[in-house]
Amino acid sequence: MGFSLTPAQADAVLSALKQDYRVYAPKRFPKQGRYSDTDVIRYAEVERFSDIVWDVKSDYPAKEVITPIQQAIFYFTEDEYRASKAKTKPILILARPCDINAQHIQAKIYAGNGGYEDLYYKRVRDLVKFAMMECNGGDDTCFCVSMGSNRTDDYSLALKFSADGVQVQVTDDAFAPYFAGMAEADYAPAFVEENQLKVTVPDLDDKAVRLALKSHPMWKEFNSRCVSCGACTVACSTCTCFTTRDVIYGDNPEVGERRRVSASCQIAGFDQMAGQKEFRSTAGDRMRYKVLHKFHDYKARFGERHMCVGCGRCTHRCPELISISATVSKVSAAVEEIKASMAQQ
Amino acid sequence: MNHDINVKKMRLNCFRQSKVPGEFMLQMRVPGGMVDAKYLSYVEHIANTWGDGNFHFGTRQTFDITGIKYENIPAVNAYLEQYIKEVDAELCGVNMDTVAHEPQPWDPKAGYPTIGARNITACVGNYHCICGNCNTFELARKIEPIIFPSHYHIKINIAGCPNDCNKAHLCDFGIIGVARMTYHPERCIGCGACVRACEHGATRVLSLNEATGKIEKDPCCCVGCGECVKACPASAWTRQETKFYRVILGGRTGRQTPRTGKMFLNWATEDVILGVLKNWQKFSAWVMDYKPEYLHGGHLIDRAGYKKFKEIILDGVKLNPECLVAEDIFWHETEYRSNFNVKPMALHHSAGPQNG
Repeated sequence: MGFSLTPAQADAVLSALKQDYRVYAPKRFPKQGRYSDTDVIRYAEVERFSDIVWDVKSDYPAKEVITPIQQAIFYFTEDEYRASKAKTKPILILARPCDINAQHIQAKIYAGNGGYEDLYYKRVRDLVKFAMMECNGGDDTCFCVSMGSNRTDDYSLALKFSADGVQVQVTDDAFAPYFAGMAEADYAPAFVEENQLKVTVPDLDDKAVRLALKSHPMWKEFNSRCVSCGACTVACSTCTCFTTRDVIYGDNPEVGERRRVSASCQIAGFDQMAGQKEFRSTAGDRMRYKVLHKFHDYKARFGERHMCVGCGRCTHRCPELISISATVSKVSAAVEEIKASMAQQ
Repeated sequence: MNHDINVKKMRLNCFRQSKVPGEFMLQMRVPGGMVDAKYLSYVEHIANTWGDGNFHFGTRQTFDITGIKYENIPAVNAYLEQYIKEVDAELCGVNMDTVAHEPQPWDPKAGYPTIGARNITACVGNYHCICGNCNTFELARKIEPIIFPSHYHIKINIAGCPNDCNKAHLCDFGIIGVARMTYHPERCIGCGACVRACEHGATRVLSLNEATGKIEKDPCCCVGCGECVKACPASAWTRQETKFYRVILGGRTGRQTPRTGKMFLNWATEDVILGVLKNWQKFSAWVMDYKPEYLHGGHLIDRAGYKKFKEIILDGVKLNPECLVAEDIFWHETEYRSNFNVKPMALHHSAGPQNG
């Protein structure tokens, strides 16, 4: 069933939904951007319909709702400890198809990897339902179609926003009561069928090609260009890496909490082992690791699809204007070069 | 040609005397150094019609057109009417029928009424620059009607950030856009990028507390540059919405006593900056006993003494709670001549009301 809501009606529905759900959506934080007088759009609980930013893509992904940058996982007092408590109120996340598809990848890492389900992920994820925001095509960093993440059927509501309000498709009966009395309308969501940007992922099945690619000079470019800040991985819809940190509350070292904090493979020290050994000591090495993880390794392990959903946020947030799609194209060129060279031998 | 030209009158009209007798250089005001590019056609027209075809970027960001013959100045001034009206009167809201806020009708065919308050210079600021903390030329446009037209001199330079590319440290009243930051520990991944950025590019006020994985700050020495915000991969540092400014006072170049300015105000809001500048005329008039001389603002502060300056310039200004004011300022001048200030009493300058 479908409905057409004015902004005032949408506000009323949102108020009703908020009785039963924590409603998260992209929200504008004025003047909190990297540069003066620029905004940040990131996920937060929304109070009003007008809080929802639908016309441009968020700077940060929907994953922050489920796996925040920082969370306490347990508290300890001498010989006792207890897990942090999670809120139990259900969550409704307004997200574009790329972000919803990204959650399927996050689920693989947190709850489908090695036969272990991560409690802190699972207890939040199980509360989540999606309201799919029909994507208006994204921007010139998006390439969801190339990555096959432009479509989804994992949603309870589909929403098409406009200046006049919102059209809604209700696919989960549990949400029908919130729309009682609203004007019905024929609405079925459309999906982005073509992006301005098209990315062809290189074929890296051949181990010899991968080994040659590892030492290919293309990565050297990033030693001077990439500043290893990790903005790309914080903005990534699918990156899951975190570290843990024990915070001692005072002068008694046995009282405190253990936190989970996002980590980034792009930041020096991420892979440091005992004895100060680092596997990837240059920005180029770290870039290669990230790119191959997103465009080969994940798929090699889990099948189905690549890890990258093509949301383009890493490109969008990179302060050095490094484009992931251009980088993948450079990998493709390098792979062609390697294959040609191998054919000659 | 007839060389009987009142060059001081020409200078007041923004035409600078050339080494070629009878030729002048026009200086067109460009408040904040930013105008619609369409005005370049005005520059081209003046240069090709009445000038020598050349154009110089004035050191104070004026459009300077050389080689204008004295007899053509009335024609140039008549042509300037539209530029002055559009840029000063309309864009900046300058009341052209005043001088130092006193009524004095402006003849729109007669060009600039005074050279007094110099063109306000500015870097491009946050309109373009990734470092800028404020919109420099919008601030310049708000200041222009306060200081112009006036026969009292003041050089104002606006820099968008403490990098001070526009040299706020080398003018009477230098304004630097600064940001006060908010730290969001819940978004901090403890990577230390801000610590390194502050260490390499600013004043080393940040440190990573290894025990908490969070950042600690010595706010006292923060210069407000915003490098931490730029460096943060997770938006854990953000600039506060309110714009703040630092004022660097009394800097100057010159043959006698060049010196770098010193901090007068820190963390002042725009209202405070505009309020202070509204007292500039009053201060200048008091020092020179209402008889404007061709003398820049920093020299007036020397004559009055900083404490007297502070008393007049802050009169009626409501300081924002964050605003800090220098209790005293001790400038350090280049000593071209030792004991430069020790001289016969008759050579001393006066300040304040003079008898007779």
